[in-house]
Parts: sequence; structure tokens; C-alpha cells
Amino acid sequence: MKTVLVIGGGVTGLKAASELAEMGYNVSLVEKEDYLGGQVTKHKYYKLAPDLRLAGDVIYPVIKAVESNSNIKVLKHSQITAVSGAAPEFKAKIKNSKGESEETFGAIVVATGFDHFDPTVKQEYGYGRFKDVVTNAEVEEMLNPNGPTKGELKRPSDGKTPKKIAIFQCVGSRDRQVGNPYCCRVGCVVSTKQAIEIKEKYPDSEVYVYYMDMRMFGRGWEELYGKAMEDYEIIFTRGRGAEVTLKNQQLSLRAEETIMDRPIQHSVDMIILAAGMAAGEGTIDAAKVLGIKQNDYGFLAPKDDFLSPNESSKPGIFIAGADKGPMDIENCIVEGAAVAAKVAGSLKN
Amino acid sequence: MAENTDKMVIDGVELTGIWKEFLPSRILYEDVTTEFLDEVKKLPGGSTIVKCYQCGTCSGGCTLPDFVDKFNPRRFIDLVRRGHYDILVNENKDLVWKCVSCQRCTHRCPRGVNTQEVVRAIAKFLENRKVFGKITNDEAFDEIFMDEVIEDGRIDEVKIVKDFYSKTGRLKDMMSADQISLGFKMLTSGRIKLFGGRIKDWKKVSQRLKEELQ
Repeated sequence: MKTVLVIGGGVTGLKAASELAEMGYNVSLVEKEDYLGGQVTKHKYYKLAPDLRLAGDVIYPVIKAVESNSNIKVLKHSQITAVSGAAPEFKAKIKNSKGESEETFGAIVVATGFDHFDPTVKQEYGYGRFKDVVTNAEVEEMLNPNGPTKGELKRPSDGKTPKKIAIFQCVGSRDRQVGNPYCCRVGCVVSTKQAIEIKEKYPDSEVYVYYMDMRMFGRGWEELYGKAMEDYEIIFTRGRGAEVTLKNQQLSLRAEETIMDRPIQHSVDMIILAAGMAAGEGTIDAAKVLGIKQNDYGFLAPKDDFLSPNESSKPGIFIAGADKGPMDIENCIVEGAAVAAKVAGSLKN
Repeated sequence: MAENTDKMVIDGVELTGIWKEFLPSRILYEDVTTEFLDEVKKLPGGSTIVKCYQCGTCSGGCTLPDFVDKFNPRRFIDLVRRGHYDILVNENKDLVWKCVSCQRCTHRCPRGVNTQEVVRAIAKFLENRKVFGKITNDEAFDEIFMDEVIEDGRIDEVKIVKDFYSKTGRLKDMMSADQISLGFKMLTSGRIKLFGGRIKDWKKVSQRLKEELQ
């Protein structure tokens, strides 16, 4: 029986590995970090939209399915440095702390995922300059009881709980300035979810969301948006956050209320940047090592977006999950299963 | 807290630019507050204001703009929600109460906002804040009319005319010769009665109405 190489131990990679192992294939799962779960584990995602169920309830069963399956060899702290050969026999060099080894695989699944967009380049938002401008991933860590603040939302500058919180949408998404003209597909719902979590925990706080469009296309997202407005009274303002300054030692944001045709200045205690998704470092590396096609933004390009969404430009190399473009966890799990079926089919021939 | 951005000097270089000093920023309004939203929400009919997502269906189908330029329910809602009290008062206080309650907006609203009631609540909110100043004759008549209906369940012409003139401080006018002769003619021809009839058990209904209108 041939072995399948799965690159990336995030949600998609884990799901693909466990599905393939259940079908009886041997799988080597290569992960560059020393933990499984990818960004979900890294940034301690707390709750998932739209049901506000714990991220752990979703990710731990997927991790367990991989760790408990004897057909899967998990290689943490490892990286693929070179791949030679072609389908159905690839030779991959795997490097880890012990050294380098070469193994033969029948097929390769690339599930290297995304990185959170780094908003430092959006200088007008002052990320990195003002301590109280934080990203949505940092808020996720804060809201998690196992996080650095034990589940409390605190201003990084003075450790106090903020009363007025503004959330900026589309940071590093739909933005040609930073080269990411695409939609991050999750920012809207994640911000809405975080706003609800904050309001639930601190009913006295005021949460304002500055958006261009609220793109609530997923299962239950629009309903969550309605709930945020009706039950939690989060104020959604149409108008993209323009800049952040300090006024009398308080954060002050500027934006235009486009519905009302008026530019405003709004003093708040904390600003959360809904940073989008960028092609992960691992994705860019994998594309280089494997020699597969990327799109304009660094994500991996499928052979055919409609007809063969999980095949890369090279036969025998398959792609899945958020390395193809922004994707939510729900769809990543679907992708993991889909790519497993595709790999199994290709190995039979 | 980080350094003040009005001037940011790094290695002797001023990075923010002096342009801020001669280009005044185009800020028309400062800060946003939910204070007024909380108030309107508590008024009768005002609770659904939070559901609005500013699509404009209400204003798009509104019967009024043909006659009352700038009547815009969506805008009233947003002004309250964001606490733009000054605009609400300066530009819209003469508009909000002109709603004719055709209910097109309420029936069409995709979010289930009871728009007509919300607009009414906003008008009430402004009324509570006494922004309308001295009441006009029309408003005085409306008030007396409503009070009378609630109190007696019917309109007593003599009483309503008397109350109207006294409320607008014109009792003298009522006693003018033509008013008196007109009243006398109507009385003799049976158009009006000096003492209007009573409705049986109206007190209970009146009590209930008052509770509801609280």
C-alpha cells in the first residue's frame, strides 16, 4: 500500500489524513510547528461562528482522530525541503531537528493554510504604534480562558477593560494598496461573533463595527448579524475606518458614515482590526518546493476551479483548504474529506 | 499609551507632516452615543428600532416625499441610533410628525421594524424633550380632541370649542358677537347641545386607554 504525504497539520490536513487513514492508506503528516491544529491552536480560537460553540469541540476530535490512528505517522517540527519524481512516485526530503531523511510517497496533499494578515503595513491604523489597536486574532486569544488574560478583554496599554470598542472591517482585504483585492470571507462573521462575545461578557460596553458591506453568506451568519443588532445592540456603521490617531491621550478614529454623508471622529478605548487572510508562509514555501502554480495573491491555484478544485497544476499533488484562498473552518473540513476521496481515487489507478 | 501623533519625531525627522496644521480636517461630528437610542427604545412602539439595517425600503416606498421633501424614516432611525441629536432637532423636528401612517414601510420592512411606530416614537421623543417650542393652534386642537375622546369617549362640541379657545389664550375671541350668534343659531337648530350625552361605563375604557398610552 502506498503512503500519502500530507503537508500541514491544520484543520484541513488533519481531516485529510484521518480520512485517508480510515480508508486504509498509510499517511505521513508533516507539520512545521510542534503542535497540531494550525491557526486554530496557534491563536487559541475560542468560539466559532455562527453557533458560538467552542472551537475545541471541533478541533480536538479531529486531532484525536489523527493521533489515535496507527496508520498515520505525525512528524512535528518537520519541513519538506525538496521533492523529486512524479506521480505515482515522489521522493520527498523531510528535515527536522534530528536531521534529514528521504521517503517515497504515492501522492502529496498540500494543506499549508493561511496566515493572519499583518496590519502593520496599514500605517494609518496605527497597529504596532498604539498598544490598544489589536487584531481579531489577539482578541480571540484574550477571550479564551486559557489565553494570556484568562478570558478577560483587557487593554494592552493599562490592563483595564475597555468600555467603548470599535471594530474595523476589511483590514488587508478588498484593498489593492496591500495587494489583496479579494474578500477574506470570514472577517464579517468573526467580528460579529466577537462583538457578541464582548457584549455578553461586558453588557455595559459599547461595540461599534465600521464596515463597507457585511457579507453574511454562510450558514446562519445573517441570522447572527440580526441577533447582534437586535439582542446585543451592536452599532454597525457603514463606512470604512480611515485612520486612527491619539486625541487627549485617547484613541480616536476617523471614518465617514456613508449612509449619513458625514465624516466623523469617534473616541474609543480599544480598536480591533478585522485582519483578513493572506497566503501562509508554508503555502508559499510549498509552492516553491513542489513547483506548483500560485494565483496572483500567493494562494495555490487549482487545475480547474470548477471541475478539479483539489488538483494542483502537477499530477499527483493535491491541494485543499485555506491555501487555495480564504476559507472558514467548516469548509476546510469539507475540503479535507474531499481531497482524501480524490487522492484515494488517484492511487487506485 | 503610545506617543501623540499630532507630532511624531523619530531621529529628528517629523513624520506626520505639518500639513495637519494648515489643512483643517473635514470632521462634521464628534463622537457617537447610544443615549438617545436607549430613550427611544423604551417609548411605546420604539423597541423595534434596533432591528433596522438601513436598507432604505421604508424611505423608498414612502408616500410622503412627494409632498414633504426630505421625509426619510431611515434617516430618522439612523440619527437616533448614532446620537446625532443636533441634526435630528435642527433638520428633522418639523418632519418626523408628518407621517400619515399609511403603513407601507411597516409592511415592507425586511427586518420586521415597525417603522411607522418607530417614527412616531421618535416624534414623541422629541416632544418629550420639548423641542417644538410653543404649540400651534393645530397641535392644541389635536391635544384637546384626544383628551376629550379618552375622557368621555365622544366629542362635545361646546366643550371642545371652549377648551380650544382657553388653551390658546383666546377666550375673548370666543365671546365675540359673531361667534355667539353662530353658537346660538346652531343651538336653536339642534346642531349642537349644551350638554353632550354620556357613554355607559366609559370610565373603564378610559382607564385602560390611559394605561396603554402611558
